[in-house]
Amino acid sequence: MKKFSISLMIVAIVAMFAQGVWAGDAEDLMKKSHMAYYYAGDDGLSKVTMKIINKKGKERIREFTMLRLDITEGGEQKYYTYFKKPSDVSRLTFMVWKNPDANDDRWLYVPAVDLIKRLSADDKNSSFVGSDFSYEDVSGRHWTEDTHTIVSENETVNDRAAFLISSKPKQEKDSFSEKKTWIDKETFLPLKEEYYNDKGKLFRIFTADKIEEIDGIITITQRTMENVKKKQRTTIIFDSIEYNVGMKENIFTERYLKNPPRKYIK
Amino acid sequence: MGKYEENLRKDLNVKEGLINFSTKHPLMVIGIIVILTGVFAFQLTGMQIDTDPENMLPVDEPVRIFHSQTKEEFGMHDFLAVGVVRENGAFNADQLQRIYRITEEITEIEGVIADDIMAPSLVDDIRQGGGNTLIIAPLMEEAPETDEEAQYILGRINDNPVLKGKLASEDGKALALFIPIESKDMSHRIAGEIKAITDKYGDGGEYFIAGLPVAQDSFGKEMFGQMVFSAPMAGLIIFLLMFMFFKNIRIILPPMIVAITSIIWTMGALVWAGYPVHIMSSMIPIFLFPIAVLNSIHIISEFHDKYKKYKHKETTIRHTINELFKPMLFTSATTVVGFLSLLTNNIPPVQVFGGFVAFGIAIAWLMSITLNPAFAMLMPDKALRNFGASDDKDTFFSRFVKGLGNLASKKYRIILFSATVMVIVSSIGLSMIIVNDNPVKWFKSDHPLRVADRTLNQHLDGTYMNYLIFDGGEDDAIKNPELLNYIENLQKYLEKNEIVGSTAGITDIVKKVRFELFGGTDKEKYSIPQDVIEVGQILFVYEMSGGDPDDLFKMVTDDYSKANLWVQMTNGDNQAVASVIADAEQYIQDNPPPSNVDINWAGLPYINVIWQDKMVTGMGFSLLISFIIVFIMMAFLFRSALWGLISMLPLTITIMAIYASIGYLGKPYDMPIAILSSLTLGLSIDFAIHFIQRSRTIHERTGNFRETYNEIFEGPGRAISRNVMVIAIGFVPMFFSNLVPYITVGTFFFAIMTVSGAVTLLLLPSLMIVLKKKLFPDAKI
Repeated sequence: MKKFSISLMIVAIVAMFAQGVWAGDAEDLMKKSHMAYYYAGDDGLSKVTMKIINKKGKERIREFTMLRLDITEGGEQKYYTYFKKPSDVSRLTFMVWKNPDANDDRWLYVPAVDLIKRLSADDKNSSFVGSDFSYEDVSGRHWTEDTHTIVSENETVNDRAAFLISSKPKQEKDSFSEKKTWIDKETFLPLKEEYYNDKGKLFRIFTADKIEEIDGIITITQRTMENVKKKQRTTIIFDSIEYNVGMKENIFTERYLKNPPRKYIK
Repeated sequence: MGKYEENLRKDLNVKEGLINFSTKHPLMVIGIIVILTGVFAFQLTGMQIDTDPENMLPVDEPVRIFHSQTKEEFGMHDFLAVGVVRENGAFNADQLQRIYRITEEITEIEGVIADDIMAPSLVDDIRQGGGNTLIIAPLMEEAPETDEEAQYILGRINDNPVLKGKLASEDGKALALFIPIESKDMSHRIAGEIKAITDKYGDGGEYFIAGLPVAQDSFGKEMFGQMVFSAPMAGLIIFLLMFMFFKNIRIILPPMIVAITSIIWTMGALVWAGYPVHIMSSMIPIFLFPIAVLNSIHIISEFHDKYKKYKHKETTIRHTINELFKPMLFTSATTVVGFLSLLTNNIPPVQVFGGFVAFGIAIAWLMSITLNPAFAMLMPDKALRNFGASDDKDTFFSRFVKGLGNLASKKYRIILFSATVMVIVSSIGLSMIIVNDNPVKWFKSDHPLRVADRTLNQHLDGTYMNYLIFDGGEDDAIKNPELLNYIENLQKYLEKNEIVGSTAGITDIVKKVRFELFGGTDKEKYSIPQDVIEVGQILFVYEMSGGDPDDLFKMVTDDYSKANLWVQMTNGDNQAVASVIADAEQYIQDNPPPSNVDINWAGLPYINVIWQDKMVTGMGFSLLISFIIVFIMMAFLFRSALWGLISMLPLTITIMAIYASIGYLGKPYDMPIAILSSLTLGLSIDFAIHFIQRSRTIHERTGNFRETYNEIFEGPGRAISRNVMVIAIGFVPMFFSNLVPYITVGTFFFAIMTVSGAVTLLLLPSLMIVLKKKLFPDAKI
């Protein structure tokens, strides 16, 4: 009996120790993953097709060109989006200054009324252009907002070896209560994510559908977010991506919202 | 040998067979009934309850399909309204803090669709922020600390066309939450859980819970409670009254057993057949009880009268059944016809109700003529020693019945005149009937649900919601300014109707976003842009700025091919709702919509209007059909069209008088009153059949009109009067029910019995006196 409790204690200590080490590793992995996914290259220019597929299977298409410039590696970023489709929003532009430590700044130019309006960015979880991706999904959730633990090191997703990491928000009220992330062991890209609500119910699933090497950078060129409850999903397809095109920061200003930079947007 | 005689022989054979069987093998009769009752009672364990009023329409009914499709397409759900009213204002920090916590707890309730709750802390508001910022964010992210903040929230609600009048009354005295639920049959439970929460946080203001689903579901639940209470209560009183008349417990036991077992068989068969017990079929026991007892009272009454003559059980039984077999067969058959006629109505629960009540009546008839004799046979003779003796004495009761006979023979002219006046007065009353129904009003005026309904609808834009669907036929059709203008104008037109509290649709979102996009000060921008591209971009702005796409897609489909206009009403009376529907029809007729746009209604109040319509026309038809069939049956039974016509008089006058008084009283003709017409018909013919058939039997024996007349006011007259009293008084407890339909049913039993009894015992003898030469051609006077 005594022996048993001693060995139990050893197991517990080892487990605690392991967990402590792993927690550090887990956060490190999440950071690496974040950098690989959101900060590839110094800038990026991509043509994107977004398909919102409702529960009846009906598609809504959005097409836009997206410019991204990293101001500080792993920190501040600037985004510029130019919409082409649906046709009635053609020429509508949208700009985000991402501030990891504060609320983002967002501007919108509405060509039909020739008006620039700032948009409130209090809620990072609100839908991005009506899709199943939230603003946070597009620009990234900082790894320090959650505590991470490695659940398993022997996972495979689509034949790729992966870590499974569980993340729980530090803040009491958040958009999820647990997120499971499968991180590619080779590229650190997120291969799959599952979001659980406070009742432990799965409500969102992210999948990296297609991974390609572009300009030497491994990139997810097609990704899907599924809203389990609504039975709706959104797929983002990168029709083309260029990295390190040498974007200037002055593009990301109100002036260019009205007059899109011809160099990148044709 | 004529066909009639052949039939009569068969008839006699059945009768003889039944009498022989039940008198020779009483134990076997009882045994068979006990076993079968056990089998049917076992079926009851699988009982399923259905309180969904949508099931008043067949599953494949287009209106219903469209309603479900609309709910699905726009993600709409049935909802409860929870309101708080504070005379000195609900918009203060204290009240909003309570509301904040109440809302938080409500989101946790199983079956509540938390994402779609409309509450200050959960709905989005569109407003201006500093530095030319457009904000779409929850109206009340945190509970306010000060009364000024609370008042600011009220201001925001009043500035938002989608929230105004819904979340708060303009003066801020009332505040409401709208709680969508997964399915209607959860609403009673959820309302209970919400009440527990509001009780916990409910100091200061008074909380109310309203809404059609909760009314209908709660009605269903309370109805079953009433069923369990009312039927036995009526049973007890009937039992006591019968004891008063016959003073022998053993002899009055069979009617009670017949009533209870026929109810068990019927409900068991209903469950067995795979039907859920609907609000309508939960009424079956209360309908069957009196009908089941009627035959037995005639049997016991006759047995009671004859026993003192024969002083021999079996002989008395044979004579009793012999004399009563035909009238009982016909009274039961006519009542069966009355209920079977409901099958012509295309409302499924009404059909099920009619069919199974008819089944129950047939069972009750069969049991009455077997169980009563069987029980009597098993009784020791000494238990019957004093039975029937009381009638030898000149009791007040038998004097009273004879008095009726004397009255008719002396004042027959006055009686005939009064009957004519009654028919004329009734005809006027019938034309005054107002067809109207509102499930909320199935509760008494002081019921919490009624109080909540009144209070919330007085302060807010309404707890009743219909949806007007515009189908543009192709993607982006709704963005067309021409159509948006049309919707806006139709909204303005509908809002003129006094019960329309407000309307809300995609038009309001477009106008509001446009207004705020332009800075939120220029009133002129609060309008629909006349350029389709601008409409598209404004809607895109809404989607871009953090507005919940689900909120938007409650008013428009995501492909913008269909729009959903919410029409919120303060009154759920079908009559009132129908006036809104008529207004819309009128507008659409006068102003044709842009081409290819299809406009249709959905919503629970709309569905109620539709089934009421079907029900009322259906009931009229059923009544007509059964009236004709019963007349044919009577003419056949009496082999005389004249007798047939006379026999129809009590039921005609009873129906006219009862429904006319509904017209005069201004009581709306609603679902319960509609289904009672078949009961009225079925029951009010009974006395006439007994009266006429037995007059003729007696006359065959006596061949003398005077003797016949006097004798009919002995036994048969007493039996009829006993029935009147037993059933009428037996259902008096229902007058005190909490549920209006039960009060209605109780009142109807009382009215049917007294009116048809009085007409039978006064008008029929008067007519017999006037028409005696035609009716009794071979009589010696």
